[in-house]
Amino acid sequence: MAFTNTEKNFKSASPRTFVGNYKSPAFIDKFFHVITAVSSFLIIAIIVGIFFVLLKESIPAISQFGFIKFIFSTNWDPVRELFGAGVPLFGTLVTTIIALCFSIPLSIGVAIFVTELAPEKIRGFIGGAIELLAAIPSIIYGMWGLFTLAPIMANYVEPFLQNSLGMLPVFNILFRGTPIGIDLFTAGIVLGIMIIPFSASIARDSILLTPQILKESTYALGTTHWEVIKDVILPYSKYGIFGGIVISLGRALGETMAVAFVLGNKNKLPTSLFDATTTVTVKLANEFTEADKDLYLSSLFYLVLLLFLMSFVILAISKYFLFKSKKAHT
Amino acid sequence: MNETIEIEVKNLSFYYNGNIRALKSINFVVYKNLVTALIGPSGCGKTTLLRCFNRMHDLYPKNRYEGEIILDGKNILSSDIDLIELRSKIGMVFQKPTPFPMTIFENIAYGLRLRGIKNKTELRDRVEKALKAAALFDEVKDKLNVSATELSGGQQQRLVIARALAVEPEILLFDEPTSALDPISTGKIEELLVELKKTVTIIIVTHNMQQAARISDWTGFMMLGELIEYDKTEKIFTAPAKKLTEEYVTGRFG
Amino acid sequence: MKGLGYRKFKNHFFASLCTVMTLCGLFLLAFILIDIIIHGIKGVNIELFLKDPAPPGVEGGGLRNAFIGHLLITIFAVLLGVPAGILGGTYLAEYGRNNPIAKFIGVFADIMVSVPAIVIGTFVYAIVVKPFGHFSGFAGSLALAIIMFPIVLRTTENMLSLIPWSLREAAFALGAPYYKVILQVVYRGARAGILTGVLLSLARVIGEAAPLLFTSFNNNFFSTDMKKPIASLTVTIFQYATGPYDIWHNQAWAAAFAITITILIITLTARYIIKGTHK
Repeated sequence: MAFTNTEKNFKSASPRTFVGNYKSPAFIDKFFHVITAVSSFLIIAIIVGIFFVLLKESIPAISQFGFIKFIFSTNWDPVRELFGAGVPLFGTLVTTIIALCFSIPLSIGVAIFVTELAPEKIRGFIGGAIELLAAIPSIIYGMWGLFTLAPIMANYVEPFLQNSLGMLPVFNILFRGTPIGIDLFTAGIVLGIMIIPFSASIARDSILLTPQILKESTYALGTTHWEVIKDVILPYSKYGIFGGIVISLGRALGETMAVAFVLGNKNKLPTSLFDATTTVTVKLANEFTEADKDLYLSSLFYLVLLLFLMSFVILAISKYFLFKSKKAHT
Repeated sequence: MNETIEIEVKNLSFYYNGNIRALKSINFVVYKNLVTALIGPSGCGKTTLLRCFNRMHDLYPKNRYEGEIILDGKNILSSDIDLIELRSKIGMVFQKPTPFPMTIFENIAYGLRLRGIKNKTELRDRVEKALKAAALFDEVKDKLNVSATELSGGQQQRLVIARALAVEPEILLFDEPTSALDPISTGKIEELLVELKKTVTIIIVTHNMQQAARISDWTGFMMLGELIEYDKTEKIFTAPAKKLTEEYVTGRFG
Repeated sequence: MKGLGYRKFKNHFFASLCTVMTLCGLFLLAFILIDIIIHGIKGVNIELFLKDPAPPGVEGGGLRNAFIGHLLITIFAVLLGVPAGILGGTYLAEYGRNNPIAKFIGVFADIMVSVPAIVIGTFVYAIVVKPFGHFSGFAGSLALAIIMFPIVLRTTENMLSLIPWSLREAAFALGAPYYKVILQVVYRGARAGILTGVLLSLARVIGEAAPLLFTSFNNNFFSTDMKKPIASLTVTIFQYATGPYDIWHNQAWAAAFAITITILIITLTARYIIKGTHK
């Protein structure tokens, strides 16, 4: 198409030759070109800057504790200056897993409802309501978690779980201890609620891309609605759905305020889901401004660096899934 | 000619989106084990009519049928008809090939599994039978476990036909099945249809008059939602009764 | 038909399951919003906006310093982050159109959007707070600006790309230089979309606490000096909610209510603008 070729070959030069007497301000043009370019290159500068600054600040801790030792050590002693990422990393891992267990079924359920089951008129409304959940800042989730959810968990949900599922083999370890509400489980649930809109809306967008003719072709074989969803729509959208889940995972990983209120920052490996512990972000939020010694601060920066790298990897994985999803749809 | 009536269409009207009338009091019969073609200019309602037979319109809200379509003594447009059973008797092949993102075997076996057939031998036999009936078996017999999306367009369409045949329907509906295919694949599918009519009754919508002339036994010409003329194919194309039909088949408009 | 009843049962069962899940989601949303309203309204009174905090545990006082501080931090963040974002997005959509580096920058922008806010807070601490030796409102604004920047950049890029090439050609044909084409024609066409992007990035940062914890820190007294630590609503909420006093808890809820209402208004405004352009 000649049209697109023109677009492609366009060079941003001022049309000095177009109209006779018109003298174009080449300088302003060049200037504008430069400031926009600089603004966009800032992106690279900042990302690279973040990495190197974090690295520089972590070097004392890295040279002191190494990598493997730091990751697995559960020490955190500001007095004796012994630091390890073991407990916060474990806490981040477990809260994220709980959050995903809670949010994935709900997100997919909501996405299916909004795209396939809901009557036309309310689809937009429900989609909008779910996105409203995403607009609520995480500090609000944290407060709600602390003042409303934690007491409910401590007084009703956790004792109930202890007395029911808690009687079974694996669960009796998971659910032991005194349910205080300020624990891993509650933090995971709050986090899970927070990330639902992210995976739900990406899953919804992915499902909507299923071609109508494929769905009709399946109905023509004499299938129920659920069979069309299960056997054709979901497999067709699976990469997009995975991509959305991974993005919500990344969100959960780096979330601070939603968990900081309900976790308590205890540097101790949890013995059950109803135990208080800490995560990378919670530890940072609580201790960063308290760190008085260089090695202490450097160890905290080391944690930040690890968090930065983790979210980088997660993002790369999600991009991979979204790329495969695009391919499947061409 | 031993012509038994398979389907009777009585005073069929169809309204979409509430009150927009797309089909106007259609009356005709479809004969068993013959190919019936529906032709007409774009927008004449031939696909709309076709989709009434397997009640595809039910998928979308605000659609309404009036009149009757009688199959096996029952009106299939009535609300107490089970759509899943209906679609086992009446299958459909669409304009573009629609293979599922599964292996060739699993595509064909899908309809069978739905109906509870689990026995591996039975599945294999019926898949093979369906692929042979769709003239695809020889080309794919060594790669049944390959993804169906790797087949060519023509092969995919035959796969879809095999998939529809696997559940052994009485009637197969074809909605412009060769419009997305190259001439050679089109030829293969036309041969297939002529062969298939021995076991299934075929109703085909096509915008290609020559195709209708080549393969069908009876032809219905439609315009603006009405069935203008319905007769044996030879008659429609050589000595049509209505002027409009004559103008269409001689290419004066299209 | 074999097993048809069972298949239909499964159909109804899973449909009900999905419906229940959606109802749960809606219920949670309603629960949280109602909670904020109930608790928040209790603490909202005119004193909240006019008075500064009372000493810990003492009744009365307000959050005037936090409201003003938060406003100042946000204003400077917008001044820093939005123009840079719009200009950057303009580069990607216009000059960088055929340059492979534009795609590269786009990927980096996505990375930046996904960087946890607390990481950005520590970054700004390292480059601004540490060298200067103290917390400051400007550092907080910088942190928020860094968060806003890639969001505005990406939405600007997307919105500008939606403007058809023919519109630019028409302007060129009239003898306009490229920068005028962008400023007078392209921006005008995309302005609703760009505004929406700015509003959404604003809604995002207004509720942030983590990046402010180590940059603007906090200040129990009224101040408009951005070169020193300054109060903000979100950090105050963190401090008050995790503190021991009931009066603090009430004020935290009131502040949370104020922030939520503001964010909802901004979000709904952005949606309204987008709807208006799709006529």
